[in-house]
Amino acid sequence: MNNTYDTLVIGSGIAGMEASLLLAKGGKKVCLVEKLPLIGGNIIKNEESYPHLECSTCMVAPVQQEILQHPNIDLMMLSTVQKVEGEAGDFHVTLHQKPRYVSLTACIGCGMCYEPCPVSLKNEWEENLSDKKAIYIACAGALPNVPVIDPEHCLQISGKKNCKACQEACMFEAIDFSDQENEVDIRVKTIVVATGFELLDVSHFSHLGYGKLPGVYTAMEFERLFASNGPTSGELTLRDGEKAPKSVAIVHCIGRKEQGYCSGVCCMSSLKHAHFVKHKLPDASITHFYSDLCVPGKLSQKFLHQVKEEGVHFIFQTDPEAVRVAENGSGLEVKYTHGKGVQETLSVDMVILEPAMIPDKTASQIAKILAIDQDNHGFFRTLDEKAGSTETSRSGIFVAGCAEGPKDAQYAVIQAESAVGHVVRSLSVSHTE
Amino acid sequence: MRLKIGVYVCECGPNIAERVDIDRVIKVISSLEEFEDIELVVKRYKLLCSNDGQAFLKNEIESNALTHLVVAACSPRDHESTFMNVCKKTNLNPYLFNMVNIREHCAWVIPDKAKATEKAIRSIRAGIRRTLHQSELLERELDANPDVLIVGGGIAGMEAALMLADEKRKVCLIEKTERLGGKSIFYSQLLSRQGNSAKMIQQKIEAVQQNAHIQVFTETELESVVGFFGNFEIVLKVGKETELQTGLKAGAIVIATGFRLLNPNKLPQTVYQKEDEVYTTLEVESMILNEGKISLKSGKSPQSIALVHCVGRDEKGYCSTICCSTIIKIARMLKAKLPQISIRVYYRDLCLPHKTDQQTYEEVKAEGVDFIRVKEAGIQNTSIEYTQIDGVKKKESADMVILAPAMEPADGTEALAELLNVSLGETGFFQEAHHHLNPVATSIEGIYIVGAAQGPKGISESVAQAQAVSGKILNRLIPGEKIVPEVKVCKVLEDFCTGCQTCLEVCCYGAISFNEVKGVSVVNEAVCRGCGNCVASCPSGAMRAIHFTTPQLYREMIEAIR
Repeated sequence: MNNTYDTLVIGSGIAGMEASLLLAKGGKKVCLVEKLPLIGGNIIKNEESYPHLECSTCMVAPVQQEILQHPNIDLMMLSTVQKVEGEAGDFHVTLHQKPRYVSLTACIGCGMCYEPCPVSLKNEWEENLSDKKAIYIACAGALPNVPVIDPEHCLQISGKKNCKACQEACMFEAIDFSDQENEVDIRVKTIVVATGFELLDVSHFSHLGYGKLPGVYTAMEFERLFASNGPTSGELTLRDGEKAPKSVAIVHCIGRKEQGYCSGVCCMSSLKHAHFVKHKLPDASITHFYSDLCVPGKLSQKFLHQVKEEGVHFIFQTDPEAVRVAENGSGLEVKYTHGKGVQETLSVDMVILEPAMIPDKTASQIAKILAIDQDNHGFFRTLDEKAGSTETSRSGIFVAGCAEGPKDAQYAVIQAESAVGHVVRSLSVSHTE
Repeated sequence: MRLKIGVYVCECGPNIAERVDIDRVIKVISSLEEFEDIELVVKRYKLLCSNDGQAFLKNEIESNALTHLVVAACSPRDHESTFMNVCKKTNLNPYLFNMVNIREHCAWVIPDKAKATEKAIRSIRAGIRRTLHQSELLERELDANPDVLIVGGGIAGMEAALMLADEKRKVCLIEKTERLGGKSIFYSQLLSRQGNSAKMIQQKIEAVQQNAHIQVFTETELESVVGFFGNFEIVLKVGKETELQTGLKAGAIVIATGFRLLNPNKLPQTVYQKEDEVYTTLEVESMILNEGKISLKSGKSPQSIALVHCVGRDEKGYCSTICCSTIIKIARMLKAKLPQISIRVYYRDLCLPHKTDQQTYEEVKAEGVDFIRVKEAGIQNTSIEYTQIDGVKKKESADMVILAPAMEPADGTEALAELLNVSLGETGFFQEAHHHLNPVATSIEGIYIVGAAQGPKGISESVAQAQAVSGKILNRLIPGEKIVPEVKVCKVLEDFCTGCQTCLEVCCYGAISFNEVKGVSVVNEAVCRGCGNCVASCPSGAMRAIHFTTPQLYREMIEAIR
């Protein structure tokens, strides 16, 4: 691995991938750092993306494939940025890479190693809705199609037992229990931060029952439930794995008040969720509890009308956080205030909560390491006076995608390309100096 | 020359080897009678995609002097490019190579080994037959002009021009009106997240005017454009006398033609006369900018102002995204200028998708602006007729009414789309190449879209798009570097072409033109991407996709089902 690059891209979601690829195609050398053992970010958790309901994995897979194969991109997975010194034009960066224990070059992704592994764990990537082994890939279709070993739970690596089941099953000698963590020093001229988002943890809204009432799901859990490569292979069943919901409530704006901003994309994804339920369970009744339908852009209202025509109900709430979810026999009960001020209840089997988008949990640490500003929500701050620009508070460092604020994939890609524009400009400045 | 085809079956570790009887495959393929006048080299290898496997293949091609190559392995999506690259290192043209998928199509999906083996044999036989009908194709390199033409001198066009000029790209910026700045010059103030001051806009205009790399043509429109990515030839219509300016060349074109506001008078629920105190958001912005105050036509100060959202949202079928934040900005400006008066905002949904705007809304509410949620609202002169959420109908009047009408594509959008051969989407805005993955490009390579020409949006999003286009162009069109067009293009068989021009209509890339003299269609191979739309729609079979010809496909199919 060469240790000097034109750009360090942090995060391999849709924004990080676009920035890396565009630069690489323009002949720039890119180091792409991803903390997980797979690339693609949050978008690959979605079965379909609105407004065209295009298969997300099919849409993104060619991009991922290009990232994996491009000679101008060095991809470091399971890696984080530890230290950044220097300045624009010559940043000295220290990266920390966790061991994968599986060779990226020798493994062909045949999957023979999972079966014999005696350890069973919850699969966090699947929102804990399914199990994985101590050697695993996140889901079918994950790229690169090379597993990783969880060293904490692997019997061999954690020293609990001399188990070599996976190694014996591998025909390609791809598994190496002695793989070590690694510190890598690189020098880069520019940095693009694309660390993305996560959804607000909704378990602290006790009135919504998440975590206690099994019928209550987060938006991300529902996405995985619907996904054909997900825990139920796309079958919409409740947590017992058998019963399909007959009635579903979708509650908007979870955490909007607390966070102080509208995430801008949840209304559209909740409409998509309603459409998904209708698509798989045409007889299910679906009710949205919303206060504002924020469906901006030239195509979105059409989708709203389509969903309304599919027979989905919409109940306006002055405050969606005033909605209460309680147990009702084997099902759930949603308490809400009707538009005329009357309190009512609705019995449902499933509740989907649509939480606010918040910065990735690594954002504050990255802000500190890179010495760039965050806004009061923890997203990376861009320069107000340069309205819409992707320049951060520090020269040579740019931000793209949901790391800058909640947004859809289209705008994330636009910001990535904008950051690339700035990178090219910075590179020619540092070149002439 | 005697043909010599190499057929290599990859074991893919246990993936293929355990599920397909490779020995039988090799035995059957080696002894096929129909290929007896051709020399076949048939071998197996444990993992062809590995470095050793690639070296093995390269050596096989060279030492056997193969004329064609078939690899039976995994999906072409995984490794077609790997093996084409191996060919490129030898004398074998990579288009005389064919990949047969016996893993996903056979080994992984057919539990019965004998059946899987049978299908693998048929697939390989079909692959060999197809390969025999393939032809050598050669990649070409074309010179490219790195200069850029930008159509529209609003905020998006100016930002794109400045970013590109900063990299010393020669930019020609044309603007239909007599001045730069677009709609943004009507603003006296911007949102706090845009730095509040509208000075930024004036600064951009000056920066564009002073930049030696940017040539500005005002009162100018496009007359014609011919050519393709890297090589556009442009004719402009300049000035009031519409003098034609020819000889302009550019490698890329950026559409930044912006928007106009819907005329609220066209809607049945907004009935008012010219003399009524009814204004659009842009008219009020410009009143504040020019007069520094808000006043009625009589010169008096209004005592009450009503602001109405979503004017034309249902009729247009889309939400214009920025009207809510614009209304909130205007309400705040009004409150600052006339703190004592009543300001009432009638809205249906708050659409504030930016991370800072909800907070601004809360502040403006606290400053004393009333927000009234309605199911629907209309105006009759300066009276607001609305339905509350609980269904109760109400009527209120104000001294002045400000409407937030929907954003529409700018005048002349359709003509420009036709001139450039780019598509418009269902709501009339320019259509992006891919909604998520390629949002500032069009289906015509080298023609890009930014700002409200692509869809309703504000200054920030327009700036981001303009910078995105610079990112695209600076990395795709590099001075001194050549461009390599698609190799697997379509061709016209002139003898068969009847001149019906069906192909011109179905081509997504504007690659086909019509030769009036010969009466036949002509494919511009630098523009064609080989999608095959023209081939499928040609009623006389005159179109040919050169890597997917009828003989190639038929022979392959016949062999597979024989």
